[in-house]
Amino acid sequence: MSATPRSGMDEASRTWVDCLRASGTRHEECLAQLHALLLRVARHEAVRRIGSLAIGGPELDDIAQQAADDALMAIRAKVADFRGESRFTTWAYRFVVFEVSTKIGRHFWRHRPTAMDEDSWERLPDPIPLLPEHRAELREVLTALRRAIDEDLTAHQRRVFVAVALNEVPMDAFAREIGSNRNAVYKTLFDARRRLRASLAAAGYARPTSAAESI
Amino acid sequence: MKTPGTIDELLAADDIDAGCAAGFEVLHRYVETELAGGDAAHALPGVAAHLRRCPACREDYLGLLDAVRRFGNDPSPA
Repeated sequence: MSATPRSGMDEASRTWVDCLRASGTRHEECLAQLHALLLRVARHEAVRRIGSLAIGGPELDDIAQQAADDALMAIRAKVADFRGESRFTTWAYRFVVFEVSTKIGRHFWRHRPTAMDEDSWERLPDPIPLLPEHRAELREVLTALRRAIDEDLTAHQRRVFVAVALNEVPMDAFAREIGSNRNAVYKTLFDARRRLRASLAAAGYARPTSAAESI
Repeated sequence: MKTPGTIDELLAADDIDAGCAAGFEVLHRYVETELAGGDAAHALPGVAAHLRRCPACREDYLGLLDAVRRFGNDPSPA
């Protein structure tokens, strides 16, 4: 173990960092121990996430193994960035949780193929009973929103908004489908939401929820 | 298909939203602050705003929270 204390880093975290930076047998044993820990977290996280996806045991274990492998690689590459702002394990678990998410995203279309539903708004279920005049206002807002989705978003923004916001396609699955990444998809979704809000405001619906409090 | 609670919720986009990449960089701090009983949303408001709007990062947050609770005290190397 290094004799140089790192500011704010607890003993266990310092031990992890030192053994990851060590060489020889100690390093190899450290990697094996960390991988085993990541694999336990990955298995637990994969089970927590699968929900309605019909992913079986062997496939689930494969997801966990790949997630643990890739997380270990990322941790080894970034361990120099760890500053002791949290326990090492908390910092490291981020990577394996993220990897499980992306791996499960790959399986989404196979296990729950969802067609892009461009007409989601047209088939929104009826809202809870509203007074007739409120239902009319709600219809107006929905019509304005539908027009804004059709006319004011770029084709890419529309595709992202319909898939992620309306059809609830997981962002990692959708990002993979279009050859992008989560961060870029979210940025597009963010911009689409702002543009739609601006469109509704310009159409006189500055506070759309006041006209449609529950849909 | 989504049945949004309100149109406002569907279209919400907070100015302080940190985004996915920046949020990931500090998610470990956010989770530990919360587990220590601190006000993570006050300490990292941009992350809190992002977790309210991004379903993918919110799942990561919930997963990390659960992982740290269950496996946070596993033994470190000798």
